[in-house]
Amino acid sequence: MNLRILLTAALALAMTSGGSRAADPRYPDWPCTQAKVPEISLAAVWAGPALDDVQNSWKDDAKVSALVSKLSARKTPIDEAEKSVKDFLAASATDKTANAKLLFAGLFDTLNAQRSQVMNGLERVSRKQREAADKIREETLQLQALQGTTPRDEAKVEALSNDLIWKTRIFEDRHKVVRFVCEVPTAIDQRLFALGRVIQQEME
Amino acid sequence: MSRIWRVGLLSATMLAAAPAHAFIAYVSNEKSNTVSVIDTESWTVVKTIKVGQRPRGIDFTRDGKFVMVAVGDDDTIQVIDAKTQAIVDSLPSGPDPELFAQDAAGKVLYVANENDNTVTVIDLEKRVRLGDIQVGVEPEGMTISPDGKTLINTSETTNMAHFIDTATRQIVANVLVDARPRFAEFKHDSSELWISSEIGGTVSIIDPRKHEVIGKVTFEIPGLRKEAIQPVGIGMTKDDKTAFVALGPANRIAVVDTATRKVTKYLLVGQRVWHLAFTPDEKYLLTTNGVSNDVSVIDVAAQKVIKTIQVGELPWGIAIAP
Repeated sequence: MNLRILLTAALALAMTSGGSRAADPRYPDWPCTQAKVPEISLAAVWAGPALDDVQNSWKDDAKVSALVSKLSARKTPIDEAEKSVKDFLAASATDKTANAKLLFAGLFDTLNAQRSQVMNGLERVSRKQREAADKIREETLQLQALQGTTPRDEAKVEALSNDLIWKTRIFEDRHKVVRFVCEVPTAIDQRLFALGRVIQQEME
Repeated sequence: MSRIWRVGLLSATMLAAAPAHAFIAYVSNEKSNTVSVIDTESWTVVKTIKVGQRPRGIDFTRDGKFVMVAVGDDDTIQVIDAKTQAIVDSLPSGPDPELFAQDAAGKVLYVANENDNTVTVIDLEKRVRLGDIQVGVEPEGMTISPDGKTLINTSETTNMAHFIDTATRQIVANVLVDARPRFAEFKHDSSELWISSEIGGTVSIIDPRKHEVIGKVTFEIPGLRKEAIQPVGIGMTKDDKTAFVALGPANRIAVVDTATRKVTKYLLVGQRVWHLAFTPDEKYLLTTNGVSNDVSVIDVAAQKVIKTIQVGELPWGIAIAP
């Protein structure tokens, strides 16, 4: 019974580790099928006035930085976030353009940083998974050797099988999580673009 | 201030809306396996139709009665009745159909089958297959000359535009363009053929009689890496004076003066803008934005984006009822 579980696990492992080889040689640890785009460039999301004069000054504006935190949080639904942008800019009257620039600069910095964090995390997990896969392969061979010896040390076989089952389960769970997290950078791109578009429309 | 602005906007939209006809646009959503139906009067999605796997190329039959949509992973083209908005039939394409073109009379359909290096020829009235044309590796873009005599097919791997005589179904010329040619569009007066190259980042302009590249449109957006500029869909106004080119992950539509072959304006639309279509009165241009999952509406005369409509996942193609 244990052996059968083991064999299936080893097979699944062989398939997943083989299939998830990175496609882009520049990023060997990138585990996603989605292409890795290290940073969102400003021009891809912003056609409004230059933000050179803004730099980090959005952090000094309490109202703007609080709004940036709220809008950057994935738990804030995008409809609600867009409405908050409109309300904020509608209330800005004379300094609308200045506020719009501050808000977008804040969102751009924050969401880009958030995105980098997620991508670094993905690559870290991907390296860990590779180590785990090596370990599982190694232990599988050990187990096979143990099973072949006579007399067989049943207690040792049992212990090692259990250990392997756990390791395989953790490996597969992580594999699923990685696939899910691979969607997050795109979700962040979408949020930044959508909010940037509303800000630019409100400025016109 | 804001009230005046609002009143102004209101009257502007009323002015814009009043004389315009309501049109119906069909958008294929590649990832959600649906087609979104948009009403151009309310600018809302009025229906979502479930179709086969991986819908991409989409167009109306010339009589406006049916919508054809290539569902690549199901190896067929589905036919939607525009009145009932239900799937009523399918057409015999080859494997993995991506895009198709029909002749001016709407009698013959040519289908690019991505996985099979062939173009399938279909009789649209009888809905039967007439034959196949062998073309380059991975046929991609597809269009027919206004006189119906030449079929243009672009190949992703050979980087060529193949000129096919529709009478003999033989390739009569091959023209080399930049990397990964995606889409082909004739000027209405047949004097030029425009071909977008997704990786090359250019649009090649070809003299269709001499089979020669006579010019190129290049794109430059400050702050954006060259490889983010990936030209795909092309739309030409009926007077052939202005072309609109979708630039993929540059998230912009380039407005091109066809006389100077220079970009006069870039319009930020949505993420990974792919294909586009004019309303028949040419007042509006609609674009599909694959990553932001929406459709942008451009006021053609004002060259401004006036609206964004959420559709399904990964919108690809768009067709508007004639």
